[in-house]
Amino acid sequence: MMEFLNIYANCQLVHGANMSLLCDLQLHKFYHIPNDTFEVLQYLKQHSIQDCIAHFGEDNQEAIDSYIHFVVKKEMGFIDDRLLEQLIPIDFQWDRFTPVTNVILEYNERLNYANKFVGDLFDLNVQALEIRCYHTVQLDHLLPLVEMFNDKTLRVIKLILPYDGSISLNDLETVVKKNPRVKSIWIHDAPEHKVEKIFNDTVAVVSLARPINACTACGEISSSYFQSNMELFSESQHYNTCLNRKLSIDYNGYIRNCPSMEQHFGHMEEVELSAVLKDPLLKEYWGIRKDDIDTCRDCEFRHVCTDCRAYLEEPENRYSKPLKCGYSPYTNEWDVWSENPLKQAAMDHYGLRSLVK
Amino acid sequence: MGNKIALLMSRKILILSQAYLETTTDAVCQWLDYYQVPFLRLNGEDLFQWESLDAIPQNEDIAAVWYRRKVFQFPSKYSLKKEHTPTNYTLKRFLIDEFNGLHSLLFHTIDRQKWLNDPVIEDNLNKLHVLMLAKEYGLQIPFTEVVTRKTSVVALLEQHPELIVKPLGECIMVEDENDTKFKMLTVVVNASNLHRMPDQFFPSMVQEKVEKKYEVRAFYLDGAFYSMAIFSQNNQKTKDDFRNYDQERPNRTVPYQLPADVEGKLRKVMQELHFGTGSIDLMVDRHGAYYFLEVNPAGQFGMVSFPCNYYLEKKMAQVLSKAYLYEKEIHQ
Repeated sequence: MMEFLNIYANCQLVHGANMSLLCDLQLHKFYHIPNDTFEVLQYLKQHSIQDCIAHFGEDNQEAIDSYIHFVVKKEMGFIDDRLLEQLIPIDFQWDRFTPVTNVILEYNERLNYANKFVGDLFDLNVQALEIRCYHTVQLDHLLPLVEMFNDKTLRVIKLILPYDGSISLNDLETVVKKNPRVKSIWIHDAPEHKVEKIFNDTVAVVSLARPINACTACGEISSSYFQSNMELFSESQHYNTCLNRKLSIDYNGYIRNCPSMEQHFGHMEEVELSAVLKDPLLKEYWGIRKDDIDTCRDCEFRHVCTDCRAYLEEPENRYSKPLKCGYSPYTNEWDVWSENPLKQAAMDHYGLRSLVK
Repeated sequence: MGNKIALLMSRKILILSQAYLETTTDAVCQWLDYYQVPFLRLNGEDLFQWESLDAIPQNEDIAAVWYRRKVFQFPSKYSLKKEHTPTNYTLKRFLIDEFNGLHSLLFHTIDRQKWLNDPVIEDNLNKLHVLMLAKEYGLQIPFTEVVTRKTSVVALLEQHPELIVKPLGECIMVEDENDTKFKMLTVVVNASNLHRMPDQFFPSMVQEKVEKKYEVRAFYLDGAFYSMAIFSQNNQKTKDDFRNYDQERPNRTVPYQLPADVEGKLRKVMQELHFGTGSIDLMVDRHGAYYFLEVNPAGQFGMVSFPCNYYLEKKMAQVLSKAYLYEKEIHQ
């Protein structure tokens, strides 16, 4: 009897220059696999296991069997007497019911956020807000801002706070209890790296040993940020996952696509939201996909990765690789990006040298 | 005349839902916002604030109705103090009937053709009737019988190696005195557990147990089907009913295309029931045969939409805005 390997549509193969990735978008896992495995699994999408062995040669039977065993063991597919044609591919369409899905706000105690621009913005059903505090802040000063969104449909607030020995986990728990939209808290410049859970283990408090004291700290590409899920994978097929439908209010109250981008669209006290959203310059980078970016287009991690268009390896080339990425899809090695001699000129261009000790 | 136009322009989509645990309704409302289609979301909880019957939405203000849910739970001040007494249950039942008496007035005040699903049929859906209807339209259904005696079950077990018992109505949650909740699930009856069955019992629905390869949940909307296959066969725990969710090894849920002839027959069943939308449960056996199981007109479609990336909340909003635009056009 002929046997076939049916691979579930939410387990996606992504080919890279030297290695590939098998992304389990349902279980949020991914597996780094050799390109040989990719070739075999790809072939099995059209052919029987017997044909596959004939095609790649009897010598490879053991290897082929082990690849199939791996897929079946991880429940990413099953063996059947046919390829089930009713198991149709996923349409990786992407859309959202709002022109702005995420907002980053660089908090400045001297600014008043209870203005028309911010009101209009969150009336658009924005989904997530990140409030970044670079400097020490009094929690009671910050709370009115967090509570401003109580009557909005905003779902998630992430707070980034500097380490402050006088703020206890209990204080943070009080904040979260009163404001259940706060789903995660990062503490930067902390004595040690650790992750704690509060509010019945539903909210993570992540302490980071490094400081986040300016927007220049952003844009780092790291495997710890990789995510294998439907939202990111589908958006990544069509848009820039870092900038698409994102908006920021920088430390001085200026509107930007992201705090690190050079272009601003006026001050929140002075501009109309509708005018900002109509400005074609805002959307200039939204359509730049990983598939369009040098090096990234050859990288197996491209659809589980974040991106950065603010700090580029070649500052004048908007399609160049993120400066703060140390991975090479050609050697499959991670290096410390800031030590790469080829990146020094770009680091000077962005004034990033002081950031890296 | 100016007044009349202004009045007609204000026609809205009416969404009947509940205030809590309704991310599906939330998402549809936000898509309607995005399309700038006016809507009124009436949660069952809102009825507890009504001051007069004048609060009920008026037929002329409503372009289309999507009836999603009645209410999550009554406000806590109306919960009964002494639990687990027989009267308590009667009182609970009474309050539910009282609530329904008011809520279902909407079925009569707003023209029936404006509803995505006929609400009266939806609220009185009979599982056996739907099964018979499906059979009438050429769909295969598992052998189904209602029995009251062990001897009948013994006879049936001669034709079918295993049977399952399912409620004729809805599954319920049973609470014990410590408030532990027990979920009612499908139970298998075979030669080995027959001895536990009394000789005579309350009328019960039994069905042949189909050796399933996978299940299909098809969401129907405006004539189209958005189907999902549910693979649970590797997992002994969920073999009989995929609602026994397993957190560590969840069932695989992937997009699925039903054969055109199955879709055609299902479409006829939905039309016959006057349903514009609903979730349909099917089962596929080892030989690839399709068995119709049931229709759930108020089905939770988030569990199909997200895993298959179907954007059903968006499609629902589009169907509702089509109704809104149509109404707007014919009245101007």
